[in-house]
Amino acid sequence: MRGLQLPLSQTQRIRLQRAFEKLQSLSSKVNSDASVTVADTIPVNYEDAFLKGHGTTDLNGELVATVCGVVERINKLVYVRGLRARYKPEVGDIIVGRVVEVAQKRWRLEINFTQDAILMLSSMNMPDGIQRRRTALDELNMRGIFEENDVVCAEVRNFQHDGSLQLQARSQKYGKLEKGQLLIIDPYLVKKSKLHFHHLEQFGIDLILGRNGFIWVGEHVETRDRMVVDQANSSQQSMVLEEKDQTHTPLEMRQNICRIANAVHVLSTLGFSIDADLIMETVELSSSLKIDIHDMLGSEFHVLVAEREAERRSLMGKRRR
Amino acid sequence: MEVDREDGRSQNQLRPLACSRNILHRAHGSASWSQGDTKVLAAVYGPKAGTKKNENPEKACIEVIWKPKTGQIGKLEKEYEMILKRTLQSICILTVNPNTTTSVIIQVVNDDGALLPSAINAACMALVDAGIPMRHLAVSICCCVARSGLVILDPTKLEEQNMKAFAYLVFPNSVHSVLPEGSLSVQGEPIENGIITSVTHGVMSVDDYFYCLERGRAASTKLSDFLRRNLQQQSTDSSKAG
Repeated sequence: MRGLQLPLSQTQRIRLQRAFEKLQSLSSKVNSDASVTVADTIPVNYEDAFLKGHGTTDLNGELVATVCGVVERINKLVYVRGLRARYKPEVGDIIVGRVVEVAQKRWRLEINFTQDAILMLSSMNMPDGIQRRRTALDELNMRGIFEENDVVCAEVRNFQHDGSLQLQARSQKYGKLEKGQLLIIDPYLVKKSKLHFHHLEQFGIDLILGRNGFIWVGEHVETRDRMVVDQANSSQQSMVLEEKDQTHTPLEMRQNICRIANAVHVLSTLGFSIDADLIMETVELSSSLKIDIHDMLGSEFHVLVAEREAERRSLMGKRRR
Repeated sequence: MEVDREDGRSQNQLRPLACSRNILHRAHGSASWSQGDTKVLAAVYGPKAGTKKNENPEKACIEVIWKPKTGQIGKLEKEYEMILKRTLQSICILTVNPNTTTSVIIQVVNDDGALLPSAINAACMALVDAGIPMRHLAVSICCCVARSGLVILDPTKLEEQNMKAFAYLVFPNSVHSVLPEGSLSVQGEPIENGIITSVTHGVMSVDDYFYCLERGRAASTKLSDFLRRNLQQQSTDSSKAG
């Protein structure tokens, strides 16, 4: 069992163990031959042409693993996927980051990567929405857009020559995130999917699953297309914005945010992949059983979630047959 | 000749080993290694951007900080840092992340003999936990020569003080080869017969030293198996993620 720092009673331990065993037997990747440690040779048919991916190296004509992990093969690519590695970014990934520094014409963001990511001033929409060259005045007003410790959502644009990332936040759905909570989990639990922005209508809450393991749970914000706004309406809307800033988040909304955040914590402690449906099911499970929000982080709820997931996967497997 | 060791171990018996990884949440990789009562905690941060002034920017740089249990940092700690840095530089692949620095921090929790070997093992496990690519795992062991000429492995602090000479030896781990022709070889010899680091104190004859090497190598295969089992366990746990 993984090092779960939970005080489990004897029966809870047995139930958890049984649920994990069931999940492992259902998992399609139970091939234990695929796991390698450092300096193990990887079984490959040397006559076929294959590509050496991350985590491998060629030593004396043999393919050897350089990290401990699981061997993955996709078509002709052979690579070793590390188990608890840092986030490996790809172009087009949606990520959530925190501003660390405001530098000349750019912001530096902390994402869970070896270096800080860079968001250039030119890759960001101006507040008045007009497309123009960034002047020196814009540079001096950078703090008006993002300050240190702000949470920002952006997309990976490309890699630079020294290995650092460049981001862009040109669309309306990217930008500063307010009125919510940032959660940090392991990056391998967030798989690439078609939709990373989820709007949970039931609670009126936005859920953004960043591929770097940063998850944002916050109050829903209407995204307007600023390009369409004309001068007459803009002054009216800016006044509305100011009023909105002064209103506080209602208590029920905050409780819902906390409930969803705790559901994400439970799923990440148990090591399950995170997606919006699973989070919704966990939240519904907790509210149907009338579990208090802070009890969700207790051992009993962890065991219940693990058992329910084992049941769900076995049902899915049966349906497929 | 039978030797009377205080805890009743035989000549070639190691103390009970325990290793756990991922104990510090903020570090990129962490491990705790204990051999009997000697316990060491290692944390890895990195790779971070930039290298130090005197280092080669075309390669990755490894920085080691040794924190003793009590007292100020002195010459002995600096020596340990240098030995650890050279050992880790030879097992990591430095060309993968050029112009970066990886920091390894060692904290001594308890010292009961064989401190440097435990620290090397802990640092290696922490690097594995952080996902840094390496050529081999480093497996290290302490052999000492008693006044009577007997060679014993893994001494406690009391035993170390009564020894004529001792040697810390670091070997690469034994390789699990899938090909039937056998494991990797360097110039005809299997790679487990190599040695990464050897630190000696005291006076011993050349024959004694080679004898220590043999004994150490035999013990290192046992340690390699222990590491392999420890790492295999974690990979089966991650298959739950589905």
